Amino acid sequence: MTSATPAHPVALRRALGQFPIVTTSAGLAFAALEYLAAAGLVTYVAGDSAWIPILVAGLLALMAYGFFGELNSMYPTAAAIRLYMKRSMDDRIALTITFTYMSTIVLVIASDAFIIGTALAHAFGEESWVSALWIIGLLGIAVTTNLRGVTVAGVMQDLATTIVVVATLAISALALWRSGHALHSPLQPLHGHSAADLVEAIALGVFLYSAFEWVTTSAEEVRRPESIHRGMLVAIGILGVVCALATVAMSHTLTHHELSSPYPQLYLGVAAIGHTGLWVMAGVTAVTALNTFNGGFVTASRFIYGTAREGSLPRQLARLNDRAVPWVPVVGLGATSLVVALMVALTGSWEVLVAVGAALEAMIYGVAAYCTLRLRSRHPETPRPFRVRALRLLGPAGVLVFGLLAAIASVSVNSHFNPAPLIIIVIGAALSAFYVLRILPGVRAREEARRAATPRRRPVR
Amino acid sequence: MASLDEIGEAFADWRARSNDNPRLSKMVKGWDRVIHFSTTDTAQGFTMRVQDQLLSELVVGYEDRPDVIVTGSSEDFCDMFWGDLNPSEKYMSGEIKLAGSQQDVMRIDAISMVAFLDR
Repeated sequence: MTSATPAHPVALRRALGQFPIVTTSAGLAFAALEYLAAAGLVTYVAGDSAWIPILVAGLLALMAYGFFGELNSMYPTAAAIRLYMKRSMDDRIALTITFTYMSTIVLVIASDAFIIGTALAHAFGEESWVSALWIIGLLGIAVTTNLRGVTVAGVMQDLATTIVVVATLAISALALWRSGHALHSPLQPLHGHSAADLVEAIALGVFLYSAFEWVTTSAEEVRRPESIHRGMLVAIGILGVVCALATVAMSHTLTHHELSSPYPQLYLGVAAIGHTGLWVMAGVTAVTALNTFNGGFVTASRFIYGTAREGSLPRQLARLNDRAVPWVPVVGLGATSLVVALMVALTGSWEVLVAVGAALEAMIYGVAAYCTLRLRSRHPETPRPFRVRALRLLGPAGVLVFGLLAAIASVSVNSHFNPAPLIIIVIGAALSAFYVLRILPGVRAREEARRAATPRRRPVR
Repeated sequence: MASLDEIGEAFADWRARSNDNPRLSKMVKGWDRVIHFSTTDTAQGFTMRVQDQLLSELVVGYEDRPDVIVTGSSEDFCDMFWGDLNPSEKYMSGEIKLAGSQQDVMRIDAISMVAFLDR
């Protein structure tokens, strides 16, 4: 497949314009986990200098944007990740990486359920165990609405992202303004910290931008193909500004205890406008669920469905209910996320979750760099309306930098050495590899046998 | 390359199976849509409508603005309508392209799958 598909002479009746792409890209990145990651980043740098690693991370996010922009322009489809990975490397490796990467969606759904549940329990002054009920309720609603085929309307998604971004900006600015004193060491991130701490901060900073690239799955819905990479670029800018301001506001106004809580954003709200701010940020935290749950469930379930239909997952995962919803993946995602969320609630290990997410996202950005490089040499003829400049330099740099960030993020939690994230990722990758190498050949063989036994219906002419 | 007649015959069979399938009727309840099929090898276009839980006849040419656009080879369309091809495989390999909302694209694949679930 080398030539571009000619443009269809008639435009889609409903197509996404630029603004929804921006809000989708920013909204997918701005899960409730964002606040915890921002608070966690503060501990790695001195004073109020967290904006520096966020800025550096923003530059790295721009590098990732380049890779995903080129890959999306080559394969403007929701199935792009399967296409570009399969064509860049051995399909078994591609599938192993893809399945491992998809686990970040489970992590994000689980962590958001946990964060929203605990934030609401705290806001209502309830005992901490009540958060488990909120978690069960939230995931139950998410699964039920997805099974019924109810999706969040585009306008609601736009509104949700706008509310989250504007409210976070406003609360952060107010908190800083009300603090009444100047920033402390805003330009000295290494004061009392090592270079390794700064690198870890940058890794967490990259995580603040991560998931902006999930908007590429909307490539089939846009009015203009360039809307996708333009939207990602604007979203990175928005995320950079919001996260930098929020992180500096947190470092400047919150205590260590508040920063290490599972809902630092609530304390930020109090610092801004008193007790009302707690409720504002509790509401904002709940609103992030609209994009996270909606986007996460739809993206992941559709990917699982498509992979099952393709024959790389058991056929049972492609079962549809009467509303044409792949119910097995939806229920499975909900159940897995619930288990993870409750485990996090029981163990208090949300910081490990953040580190796992940061490492996995850095890993996939390194893989995107590798795929972009490989496809330039393997498929130079494939049209690329968007091309990364200086790929010969940026490609290997991306592989190296993101690989390093992934490695560092996987062994550091709360500025201490902790191999737990690495162990979790290795277990996940091992399970994926076991499935691909040991189980999948049997799945494919049975499917082949079934097809071979099914007579063709098309008449022979 | 499949001829117009071959595509028409295949589609008629697919339409009959789909419209006679009660489960499929449920799946497309309230889902009135215009779908365009575009062949890459013969440069032909077709329009199908889903209205009141029924698939319409296949019309040659593009009518109205589509909700979904399916692009592929005439051979693939023919095989897909006869149920001899898994369109998802072709989609995941980039040989069939789709344009439209994710929900609508899912529904199209659902129609192609459920109509031949007994195979």
